[in-house]
Amino acid sequence: MFTKFTKFFIPPNNWKTPVIILLGIFAGLGIYSIYVSKVWSYASDNPKACVNCHIMAPQYATWYHSSHRETANCNDCHVPHENFLKKYYFKGKDGLNHAKLFTLRAERQVIFIGEEGKEVVKDNCIRCHSSLLDQSKLISQTKGKYTIHNTDRECWECHREIPHGRVNSLSSVPNAKVPVPESPVPDWLKELVKN
Amino acid sequence: MKSVNEYVKQKPWLGWVLFLGTMVIVFMLGLLASSVMERRAEAVFAYTPQVEISDWEPRNEVWGKNFPREFQSYYQTQDGSFKSKYNGNSMIDMLEIDPRLVILWAGYGFSKDYNQGRGHYYAVVDVYNTLRTGAPLNKDADEPMPSTCWTCKSPDVPRVMNNLMNEMGTDKGLAEFYKGKWSKYGEEIINPIGCADCHDSHNMNLRISRPALIEAFERNGKDITQASHQEMRSLVCAQCHVEYYFDKQKFEGSNYLTFPWDNGISCENVEAYYDELEFSDWIHKLSRAPMIKAQHPGYEIYLTGVHADRGVSCADCHMPYRSEGGVKYTDHKIQSPLNNIANSCQVCHREETAKLIANVYERQDRIIENRDKLEELIVRAHIEAKLAWDKGATEEQMKDILMDIRHAQWRWDYAAASHGGSFHSPVETGRIISTGITIAQEGRIKLARLLALLGHNNEVPYPDITTKEKAQEYIGLDINKLKSDKQKFLEEVVPKWLDTAKKREASWDIKNVN
Repeated sequence: MFTKFTKFFIPPNNWKTPVIILLGIFAGLGIYSIYVSKVWSYASDNPKACVNCHIMAPQYATWYHSSHRETANCNDCHVPHENFLKKYYFKGKDGLNHAKLFTLRAERQVIFIGEEGKEVVKDNCIRCHSSLLDQSKLISQTKGKYTIHNTDRECWECHREIPHGRVNSLSSVPNAKVPVPESPVPDWLKELVKN
Repeated sequence: MKSVNEYVKQKPWLGWVLFLGTMVIVFMLGLLASSVMERRAEAVFAYTPQVEISDWEPRNEVWGKNFPREFQSYYQTQDGSFKSKYNGNSMIDMLEIDPRLVILWAGYGFSKDYNQGRGHYYAVVDVYNTLRTGAPLNKDADEPMPSTCWTCKSPDVPRVMNNLMNEMGTDKGLAEFYKGKWSKYGEEIINPIGCADCHDSHNMNLRISRPALIEAFERNGKDITQASHQEMRSLVCAQCHVEYYFDKQKFEGSNYLTFPWDNGISCENVEAYYDELEFSDWIHKLSRAPMIKAQHPGYEIYLTGVHADRGVSCADCHMPYRSEGGVKYTDHKIQSPLNNIANSCQVCHREETAKLIANVYERQDRIIENRDKLEELIVRAHIEAKLAWDKGATEEQMKDILMDIRHAQWRWDYAAASHGGSFHSPVETGRIISTGITIAQEGRIKLARLLALLGHNNEVPYPDITTKEKAQEYIGLDINKLKSDKQKFLEEVVPKWLDTAKKREASWDIKNVN
């Protein structure tokens, strides 16, 4: 069976050389793309992975200067945490969408969160801060308005500065120290080119 | 199942389709790889500064290439158009406004020339211009000021200091910097107060560049490197806006810049410190009292105020945040918050601008009311003391009186020279002035008794010092000679200094990052 299967793909003898070269280029470029886009880093929860795309620098910088830095990373808020499958399904879907937009240069100058993302973030606000929602002291103050205060609006309609502030365009934090990836060109090559 | 081989043998065009199809896929993959590369390279350019800033780069323009907003706002300290009720950023001849100052500082440089300071941009130029620095026409000329006077004027200072410290070791290098006369560094120090005075060139963190503050902290058992960022936003100012003196004992021939904080930081603590050392800045020309000149204890007074108590730093009001498009950054146009109420006061205080300004002026008016009273009392004390000497008083008889004059004027000066003091801490400033009034009057009671003993039992006439000229004439100062010498100095010497300095700076490379 296996030999039959491989035989099917074996090209005619006079085609073998160009096919080998093409497959080599194919494999090489594939591996190189994986390396240069740091594909493996996306499996982690490290916020540095999110600034692989430098256009996320303002989001990173504002988060880094917020109180949430101490306890929550990007994924804690921006991907669902109900279960493992849902987490990685959403992360994969969202990530691929971002990759597509970034590659096609289709990103907006001012990035806003999408509808699906909003729901996820709000769920995550509640996941950590649920005690704020059922505190008797607070409930007594919002008496009769539970729906309005807790379900009908987004948390950040009032908590507007959390955590990214209101300033979030591509050029809003020009001097922030953000760990964007360094030049992919190795130093020895730079030296070589210089000389 | 037939192999691809056989399919192709039957239909040769299928081979071509396979071949071209693979080529297209490889081509697309190549495009993807190059796009990823390109976007990664963007990150390197988008967030990389333009030039590499070396360790003690004194040229503010070089820093400005990387931080144009901060640089441009800093250079707006050129603006000299704002006048508040008493100060502002335009040059005001304080001796003209208040000729009593001439009498108070008789025998000391400040009686020649004393102006309301302009913005940091003018730090070096105004030192050239003031009559206090004299007119050293050549290297051996006699001149009134020591090299130490440069210490707060320029980011060239830490550069020169560090060069000396690298050459001669920390202690000796610093001692060497503080040695000699003011004109010694005329060619070295040309850039006005700027970036390197407060910032670390590698990461833009706030950094203390002047040794005197670090040493004062050390002597009090504190490590300034442990200060929080918010504290640093005041401490970088405290490198200069503090009371200091020149320690002539520490190293032979050196005017070692020192903060008198060893007994504590209050007005009385520092007075006691100077008394213990028997230190005086000069002997008063009229009363012969050993005087102390208070130098702008702005930081010390601020520490006693309610804003400091609530954790507000100097930069919070004098360098508030500013928005430009979507960018928020620290306004480096360091100035009176009265010229920018919206971004300073109103960030916390939800009152009308006019109301807030009125609140400041109200405090200033009340402090100045009593400060003026104290000023007049001290002028009278100096003149009465002079009369006592003229009538043949002995050193022994005058000793206590002269100490009272010294202490009263120290307190007056501490309050007057702290500039924003009447707003930064009106209660403390008011307290200091009131103790000054008590001491001045105690001294004048002693003087009245002594004068009666010497046969003069009338009021001592108050001289006509209604203008600066009259007051300067009264203390015997030839101001015209000073002015003409200064003019010559500005025309002949300063351009030479600048020439040499410009040649030096032109020889320094500016390294571009990419």
